[in-house]
Amino acid sequence: MLKIAVGHSNDPDSLEAAQEVLEQCNQDLAGQAPQVGLLLTAFDFEHSIILEQINATFPDLQLIGGTTDGELSSVLEFQQDSVTLMLLASDEVEFQTGVARHVSQNPVELTRQAVVNAQAQLSSDPKFCIAIPESLTASGDDILQGLQTALGATVPILGGATADQAEMKCTYQFFNQEVLQDAVPFLLVGGNVVFSYGVASGWTPIGKRSQITKADKNTIYEIDGKPALDFYHYYINNFVPSAAYPLAVFPAGEDRFFLRGSLTHDPEIGSITVSGDIPTDATVQITEASLDAIISASKAALTDALKHYPGKQPDAALFFSCSWRRYILGTRTKEEYQEISTSLDSNLPICGFYTFGELAPLRDGGPTVFHNTTFTTLLLGTP
Amino acid sequence: MTSTDAETTIRQLQKQNRILAKQLKRSEADRAKLEDFNRDKESILKRIICELQESQSVLEKKGQDLEQTLHELTLTQSKLVEAEKMAALGALVAGVAHEINTPIGTSITLASTLGDETKDLVKAMAQGSLKRSRFQNYLKVAQNCAALLFINLDRAGQLVQSFKQVAVDQSSLEQRTFLVKPYLMEIITSLSPHFKNTYHQIDLVGDDTITLNSYPGAIAQIVTNLVTNSLTHAYGDGDHGHITLEVCAKEHYILLRYKDDGGGISEQNLSKIFEPFFTTARNRGGTGLGLHIIYNLVTQNLQGQISVSSQPDQGTQFDIKLPVHLKKN
Ligand SMILES: Nc1ncnc2c1ncn2[C@@H]1O[C@H](COP(=O)(O)OP(=O)(O)OP(=O)(O)O)[C@@H](O)[C@H]1O
Ligand SMILES: [Mg+2]
Repeated sequence: MLKIAVGHSNDPDSLEAAQEVLEQCNQDLAGQAPQVGLLLTAFDFEHSIILEQINATFPDLQLIGGTTDGELSSVLEFQQDSVTLMLLASDEVEFQTGVARHVSQNPVELTRQAVVNAQAQLSSDPKFCIAIPESLTASGDDILQGLQTALGATVPILGGATADQAEMKCTYQFFNQEVLQDAVPFLLVGGNVVFSYGVASGWTPIGKRSQITKADKNTIYEIDGKPALDFYHYYINNFVPSAAYPLAVFPAGEDRFFLRGSLTHDPEIGSITVSGDIPTDATVQITEASLDAIISASKAALTDALKHYPGKQPDAALFFSCSWRRYILGTRTKEEYQEISTSLDSNLPICGFYTFGELAPLRDGGPTVFHNTTFTTLLLGTP
Repeated sequence: MTSTDAETTIRQLQKQNRILAKQLKRSEADRAKLEDFNRDKESILKRIICELQESQSVLEKKGQDLEQTLHELTLTQSKLVEAEKMAALGALVAGVAHEINTPIGTSITLASTLGDETKDLVKAMAQGSLKRSRFQNYLKVAQNCAALLFINLDRAGQLVQSFKQVAVDQSSLEQRTFLVKPYLMEIITSLSPHFKNTYHQIDLVGDDTITLNSYPGAIAQIVTNLVTNSLTHAYGDGDHGHITLEVCAKEHYILLRYKDDGGGISEQNLSKIFEPFFTTARNRGGTGLGLHIIYNLVTQNLQGQISVSSQPDQGTQFDIKLPVHLKKN
C-alpha cells in the first residue's frame, strides 16, 4: 500500500497558504500518518512559517523540498507564487531523507558522504533517489557525481535544482524544519516500490556550427578563437546572453547534443558561464524552440515513462520541468500541464515544479545527467 | 447573513485580493521576459536568414566548381576510352599477326619445297638422267604444293578480310532513321541462301512501327554474324533449329532479342566469347572475331549494350539494348 496526498494553495500569505495545503492533505490521508513529504514553494514566501505549520501537524515527518520557478499539482495545476506539498505513507515502501550542507566547499565529497550516512539508515538498498539540489552555488555535475558515487552507477537520480523565479540570485532548499542555502536535500526510496521515468527537450539547433576553442569546467572563454560573448552577440545583437536560447553542445565526434544555458557572463573578458560543464573539443550551435515542439516533448517524456512503467498503474507522478520552458511557453504553460495530464488518470496525485536543472539518466541503466531545458517525469507506485 | 458568514466571505475576498495582486505583479514580470525572448528570437532569425543566404551563394559557387570538375572528368574519361581502344587495337594487331603467321609460314615452306624439287628436276634434265617415274613424282608434289599453297594463302586472305571488319570503317556506315522490323525482315531474306538444305526456321516478332535513328548497316552485320554463329555452332546436321528475333520498345531504349534453341555454350566459354580470336571452331575455319565485331559495333557505333545468357543444351540468347537516338560525338 502506498498512500499519496497532495495539497496546493496560491494564497500569497504564508500562514494561510500553509494551512490550506495541510487541510487538503489531511483530507486525502484520512487519518494515515505520512512518513515523508516533498514541499515546493515559490520564492516570495516566509518559508519558515510554512515549515513550522507542517511540523506542528506532522511532527515525525521527514521533509525535503525547495524554492521553484513555478509549481505544478493535480490540485491547482500550474501556478506561480504558490505552495504545493506531496505526502507519502506506506507500510511496504521505505523512505530515508538526507542532506548535504555547504556543498560549494566540496560538492563531490560532501554529497557522497551525506548519501552514505542516509543509506546506513535503510534496511534495503535504495531503488532510486529524488534530489532537490542547490543550483547557483555549486556545479550540478559535481553534485551528481557525489550522489552517484555513493549510490552506484545503476541507481537513477531524479529531481530538479531549486530556483528563484528567474532572478538567479539565491535559492532555498528545505530539510525537515530548516530553510537552507548551498545544500542538497534528497530522498532515498527502497522496499516494495516500482518506478519509471522519461526525459525530452524540444529544442533544435539552428545556424552555424562553431568550435569551442577555450573552456574550463562550465565557463566558455572562446568560440572559434574569439571571445565567447561575440558568438551570442552575433545572433542577439548586443543584448545579454539569453538562457532561453541555450547552446547545443556536441561532444567531439558525437552527433547528439545536450543543452547548456547561459547563467552569467563577463563583459570584460567576454566569457560566458553556463549551466553545466563543457567537454573539451566540443562544437556548439545556437538553439531555438517553438511552443509546439516544447509541448510535444513534454508529452513524449510522459509517454516514454508510461511505456516503461513496470507496475499496473502508477500511484503518483512527479514532473521536473525547466524554467526556460515556462518563460517561452508564457500563457501556454497552463496548456502544457493540461495536455499532458489528459494521458493520466484524473485521480492520480501529481506534484512538480519548474527547475534550474533537471536530473535524469539519458537511458536506462546509464548514469544520471544534469540537464537543462528538459521535461522530466517520474512515475512511482507499488507493484 | 450572520456575522460568521460575513466573516468567511470577507476572508475569502481578502484571499482573492491577495492572489490577484500577486498575479498582476508576476504577469508584468513575465511579460517583460517574454518580450525579451521575442526580441531575441527576431534577432536570431534575422541572423540565420543572413547565414542561409551566405551558404546559398557558397553552395552556388560549389555547384559551379562541381560542374567544372565534372566537365574535366568527362574529358579525361573520353581520353582514357581512346587510350583503351588503342591498346585493344594493339592487342588485336598482335593477334592478327600471329594468326596470319601460320598460313604464311606454311606457304613459305611449301614454296621452298616446290623450289627445291624444281631445281632437282632441272638438274636431272640437264644431265639427261630424268626418268619418267621421277617426273611423275615431281608433278604429284607440285600439284600438292600448289593446292596447299592455295588453301593457306586463302586462309591468310580471309584473316585480312575479318581484320578489316573489326576496324569497321565508320565513314562507310550511313546513319538514318528507319523502321526496325521491316529492316530486319530484309536482312533475314538476304540470309535465306544459308537456310537452303537445312530444316531450320527463323521467326521475326515485334511491333512494326518501332523506329531507330542509328546505323542500319551495323545492325545488318550484327544479325548476319549471329545467324551465321547459330548455323555453325548451335546445330548439328539434320537438326530442326528454331531461331527467333524479337524487337520491342522499352522506356528508354529498344531491345533486340536474338534466341536460338541449339547446343548452347558452356559456362567456361561463355565469359570468353566476346574476346577476339576466341573460337571453338578453328579447325573449321573459325577465327573468333564474329562476336568481337558484334561487341564493338553495339557498344561503340550503336552506343548500346549487349548481354548473353546460355547453358549447354538450353540454347543461347543475346539481348541488345539500343538507344533510340544516338548521342553526337
Ligand atoms: N549461337 C551459338 N551457339 C553456340 N555457340 C556459339 C554461338 N555463337 C557463338 N558461339 C561460340 O562462341 C565462339 C566465338 O564466336 P565468334 O563468332 O566470335 O567466333 P567464331 O564463330 O568461332 O569465328 P568467326 O565468327 O570469326 O568465324 C564460337 O567459336 C562458339 O564456340
Ligand atoms: Mg562467328
